[in-house]
Amino acid sequence: MKKTFLQKLALVFSVAIALVYTTIYACGGGDYDWSWEYETNFTPETFTDAKFTPFFLSQELFYDETGLSDVATLFDGDVQTDWATFLNNKLSLETISFFISNAGIESTSSLYEYYSKNKSSKIVSDWSKKIDLKDKKVKEFIEFLHFAKPIEAYSTSENSWNYENEPKRMDDAIWVKMIEKKYNQTSDKFLKNRYWFQVIKAYFYSNNPIDAEVFFNKTEQLQPKNVLYYRAVSYLAGINSRLGDTATANYLYSKVFDKLPKLQTIAMFCFAPKEEKDWIETLNMAKNDEEKIALWAIQGYYNDEEKAIENIYNLNPKSDYLEFLLTRLINNEEIRINKTFKNQSVVQNKLAIKDTISKTVVALIDKMAQSGKVNKPYLWNVAAGYLQTLDGNFAKADLYFAKAEKEMPKTELAISQVRLLKFVNNLSKIDALNAKNETTILQDLNWLYFELTQSNLDNFRFENAANWSRNYIAALYKTQNNPVLSEAFLRDRNFYSSNTNLLAMKNFILKTNKTKIEEIASKIYEVKLDDILDYQTVLALYQNKILEAIAFMEQTNEVKNEIFQGNPFNGNIKDCHDCDFVAFQKRKYTQLEFLKTMQVMKDKIAKNEDVHTNSLLLANAFYNVTHYGNARSFYEGTIIGYGSTQFDFEDYYQSLITNCSMSKKYYQMAFLAAKTNEQKAKCTYMMSKCERNDYYNGKYANVKNYWEVENNGVDFIAFNGFITLKKEYSNTNFYQEVIAECGYFNTFINQNK
Amino acid sequence: MKKILLFIVISIFFYSCHQQEKPIIAFYYWKTIFKLSSSEKEILKLNNVKKLYIRYLDVDLSLQTNQPIPLAPIHFKDQPIGFTIVPVVYIKNNVMLSKSLKINDLVNKLTKYIKQINTKNNIKIKEIQIDCDWTLTSKDNYLEFINKFKKANSSKLSATIRLHQIKYFNKTKIPNVDKGVLMYYNMGTIATDSLNSIYNAKIASKYLSSLKNYPLKLNVALPIYSWAIHSRSNRVLGLKNKINVSNLKKDTNFISIKNNLYKVKNSNFKQSTYYKVGDILKIELISKENLLEMATNLKQNLKKNPQEIIFYDLDQFNFQQYEKNIFTKISTSF
Repeated sequence: MKKTFLQKLALVFSVAIALVYTTIYACGGGDYDWSWEYETNFTPETFTDAKFTPFFLSQELFYDETGLSDVATLFDGDVQTDWATFLNNKLSLETISFFISNAGIESTSSLYEYYSKNKSSKIVSDWSKKIDLKDKKVKEFIEFLHFAKPIEAYSTSENSWNYENEPKRMDDAIWVKMIEKKYNQTSDKFLKNRYWFQVIKAYFYSNNPIDAEVFFNKTEQLQPKNVLYYRAVSYLAGINSRLGDTATANYLYSKVFDKLPKLQTIAMFCFAPKEEKDWIETLNMAKNDEEKIALWAIQGYYNDEEKAIENIYNLNPKSDYLEFLLTRLINNEEIRINKTFKNQSVVQNKLAIKDTISKTVVALIDKMAQSGKVNKPYLWNVAAGYLQTLDGNFAKADLYFAKAEKEMPKTELAISQVRLLKFVNNLSKIDALNAKNETTILQDLNWLYFELTQSNLDNFRFENAANWSRNYIAALYKTQNNPVLSEAFLRDRNFYSSNTNLLAMKNFILKTNKTKIEEIASKIYEVKLDDILDYQTVLALYQNKILEAIAFMEQTNEVKNEIFQGNPFNGNIKDCHDCDFVAFQKRKYTQLEFLKTMQVMKDKIAKNEDVHTNSLLLANAFYNVTHYGNARSFYEGTIIGYGSTQFDFEDYYQSLITNCSMSKKYYQMAFLAAKTNEQKAKCTYMMSKCERNDYYNGKYANVKNYWEVENNGVDFIAFNGFITLKKEYSNTNFYQEVIAECGYFNTFINQNK
Repeated sequence: MKKILLFIVISIFFYSCHQQEKPIIAFYYWKTIFKLSSSEKEILKLNNVKKLYIRYLDVDLSLQTNQPIPLAPIHFKDQPIGFTIVPVVYIKNNVMLSKSLKINDLVNKLTKYIKQINTKNNIKIKEIQIDCDWTLTSKDNYLEFINKFKKANSSKLSATIRLHQIKYFNKTKIPNVDKGVLMYYNMGTIATDSLNSIYNAKIASKYLSSLKNYPLKLNVALPIYSWAIHSRSNRVLGLKNKINVSNLKKDTNFISIKNNLYKVKNSNFKQSTYYKVGDILKIELISKENLLEMATNLKQNLKKNPQEIIFYDLDQFNFQQYEKNIFTKISTSF
């Protein structure tokens, strides 16, 4: 079904707003911030104040898993500290916390009745032993709680699995009026401010929330512009949103965003113009530049960083909101760039990038960097330099980076960031590699590929440059007709399907006097000499050149000693490598011993010694080193790859590892040398396994992955081997064994009775 | 004369027996407040619709507790009198993927919640439908949930089934429900290409032949909704429901660049979305011809004729582009 609802928040300002659902469609899956971190070179953390971290470019609600805060508890700490200051050590912080967060209404009511009616109770006598109830400030604290607690009850959510759990309304108008009266009567500034906030809150949950606005407008001039003030503004925003006045609600949210850091993400989230006129109306409500800037900052975050930056710059070029908007702008430009180099030379790729990035963005940041009016000019110089790189103006980029380096704070992250962007610029200058221009990138390549992977520099985004440079250099070498170095920088899965390539790469790896860039290539190339030798072994064995295979295998360091999990000379009715792995094995074979044993058997066949047995064992061995056998580890490796289905391999390798013809040849030989019907029956059946494999190889030849395999049941083909087995050898014991073990064959028999 | 009459009666009887029964027409109701407009009532009456599948709630994980919570439950402004009501529960796949999911707890809570809705609104039900886009990784939890939910409820249980779940049922398995509803839509990728992601005959054809092998009894859900895919620099930003094309044509902030493509000329907010200059809106909708083609292809490939055709979704906005009796026409094509 369509994803109609996406919950973005549970409890924000109010129950009313908590029921906001939007129809944002979460596109695709698995795309989280880390994927963008791996697609970008511009680390937003480098120069931007940490307070803006949630607003960096993200695919989540906010960057770095910053969720929405639970407003029910968000201000608990502040409230306790405020009261502790007011109470001046008359109550411990622990007691204050208990009264605010845990004490029930009955406790505060009982204590209030003690004050108002001199009524005693167990609660009163219990508390009188712990705290000084007679103290004036304690009395004021408890009195306040008595009025505030019933309102608090409306703002906390109950069990959500209750359909009757409608948004509650405080319908006790008298209570609200009593608090308002209390506000009017109180002279102490601290208490008055707190009662003021409670009046707004009470009206918010009442049936006449609009009264909150009336009260606010009447009294706000008298209030300090503190946390409570902006919390009250947030309630007003919620009320306006509930009543459908989007423009006012958004204006008020922008004030909260600007002034109350703890509610910044929530205010950002709740800000939601519906139509263009709402946005214009909100913008017109702004009373000064500061308020306009806050609005543009939010607008920029959601929609249009470029426009927001331009507008904020015109209002106040030193606004710190520009910082996070700039990082978003640059990251947004970066993620649009095509980094694949698919069928592209570097020259074509650079032209495509130049076409992709926004000319107006380049011009705007250029203008701002040069204006000398912005805060943190180095941030703008770095950004402008990077955009110049993307726009193909490498010399201009150099100038910007040099300027940034002079002015910027010398943190490790800043130094690394500029170094990385300078490297991107330097490499981008190169259209063909030569001994001279290589030197401009060598140190940075070493840094990027080997040193940074070992460092613990938080947040630094270098992986994109590492991947991009490998692609870039590979594309350069491809154009320069150097397939070996191109492959070393970026693997082509089919590179080893060419023997010329294989030998050239082997020579390259063995080359002793490598140039510096060749050394880097050799170090980053994941295929090592052992892998090539292993692959050559596999190719030789598949061609029945066992001596050659042994010669290759002997040269390997580790592969030759790898032990097979199952007995590679076994041939069973059912292909089940897991069964073969756990079956009792008198002897375990290393890969080299396996090959040598095969050669012994081959020699015996040549000398006509026990041809049936030796051919059968050789056939089993050849069978087991295919995809269908119990010794897949023989061919699996860095070159051919790994996988549980044949579709996990490239086409070229797939056809190699699924080919059972060598095995079939030796089963045939064993059959011809067989003396008994039992022996012949076995060989016939084994050949039909190869026949079956050939059938499925053909059937799935065009299938690209496991999911494409049609779910149309078992084919129950009458393979020639099956027909012969039934016709010629149905009186053998082996035939009965096959019937007992192989359901496929049994079905074939039943279908052909 | 009597003999002739008897012959005619018998002939009619046999003739009727040979006719496959036409499926009834039903609708999904997917809004949070149940209230039918006069034009919606008219369409329902005209097409003789007696059954509504009403989305009762969504279930998602709470951001705070990471436990399942009900979202956007239905509220009835109108009494659905004269309709057989089937509550539908949309469970987000991440609920089934959750490692801390307590299946028994969810079954109990959901069962009670549905009862609460029924009691409060005086609704009697005989069937509940679960809608969940379960995947291989959430399969075990989902199937266990279905088993337990079925035991806990006396109503019949149905479940929505996607095309890939039909084709690969050996891998995805079949939920233990009384019947399934084949969701014959959302076939393609939400993308900026020229294809329609709601219905694509070519993609559908790859799955049609599998229908005969699927063991569960199936009804069919067909799309009548439309939407617009909002993209920027070839990146999809979101799906926009209920975009009025004629409205868009009149809006000077947008220009039509191809049949179903609109380009943003001036940046602007519209229906709670910000459209930046250069953004593209691709409109995807389902024509009458598409619906008839679906009916023909499904009829040819389903093992049995479906008993119900359920249209997604009941909203007068979706009716604008069709003739009023289209739903009857489609159902009689089966």
